[in-house]
Amino acid sequence: MLVWVVYDIEKNPVRSKVAKACLNAGIYRVQKSVFLGELNATQVDELALRIKHLIDEQRDSVYIFPMCREDFGHVRLLGQAFDKELVTDEVRALFL
Amino acid sequence: MKSELCFSETPAVSITITQAMAYLFCPRFTYFEECLGIPEHEETRFKVLMGREVHARKIKINPDYLRKRINVVRKAVSVYLASPTLQLRGIVDEVLWLADGTLAPLEYKFAEYRPFVFGTHRTQLCLQALLISEAFAAPVTRGYLVYVRSKNFLREVPFRPNDFHTARRAVQEVLRIIQSGRFPRQRGTAAQCADCCYRNLCV
Repeated sequence: MLVWVVYDIEKNPVRSKVAKACLNAGIYRVQKSVFLGELNATQVDELALRIKHLIDEQRDSVYIFPMCREDFGHVRLLGQAFDKELVTDEVRALFL
Repeated sequence: MKSELCFSETPAVSITITQAMAYLFCPRFTYFEECLGIPEHEETRFKVLMGREVHARKIKINPDYLRKRINVVRKAVSVYLASPTLQLRGIVDEVLWLADGTLAPLEYKFAEYRPFVFGTHRTQLCLQALLISEAFAAPVTRGYLVYVRSKNFLREVPFRPNDFHTARRAVQEVLRIIQSGRFPRQRGTAAQCADCCYRNLCV
């Protein structure tokens, strides 16, 4: 499934760790605090647990939104767009 | 001339309960891990690490606590059991002595409650039950699962006669794959294969 991870984290080291966890999970950075990518249910669960372990639940907030492909097709982009094919894992090789 | 094997002199080969569970996930898991010696690297999985942490904590916290609701009269934690006849060994999180004279294994799962019992969890309890029954010479009719991520929800798993048959067969199958080195058929579903650590090697 396609997953958006959106966060608002107070402390810089924690924010860096969460960003690293997202990248390690295999999703892509589309904005400073927004990640998007294709993950299976187990990977989403694992990422959620990992982030929960890192953040301060009293101060920080992290949203993990699952999204179906049909809805993803209706995403409207204003301004600088991210690579839609890359985040949906349709780009298999970056270099030929 | 027919050769005769003397089984009594053959050293007992045994497998762990974890190996049997891996086989139930997919027989090829056993092949890659045991025959080819390719490590699973489960320590890289965050959920595995969290599960280990939970197990370590559960053993230490309140060791004298008895679950009165299910009529536990005595318990032993983190019990290592082995049986040459079953060709099996493993650690049981808790062995419970119940008021009705039976014993039961209890297993902590770092998982959320689902309205069904996974086959691997059921077989794990069955294998533990076989070991307990032999070690303590007492009947074992049910096991218990504790779902840590669902506020430690306790679920009773009554054993069916067929469960023990499935469990024993799994042990024999694991031994057969290890001893023969045969490449088995895969069993995993698409969702399981997508999450398998050997997915890049499996054809």
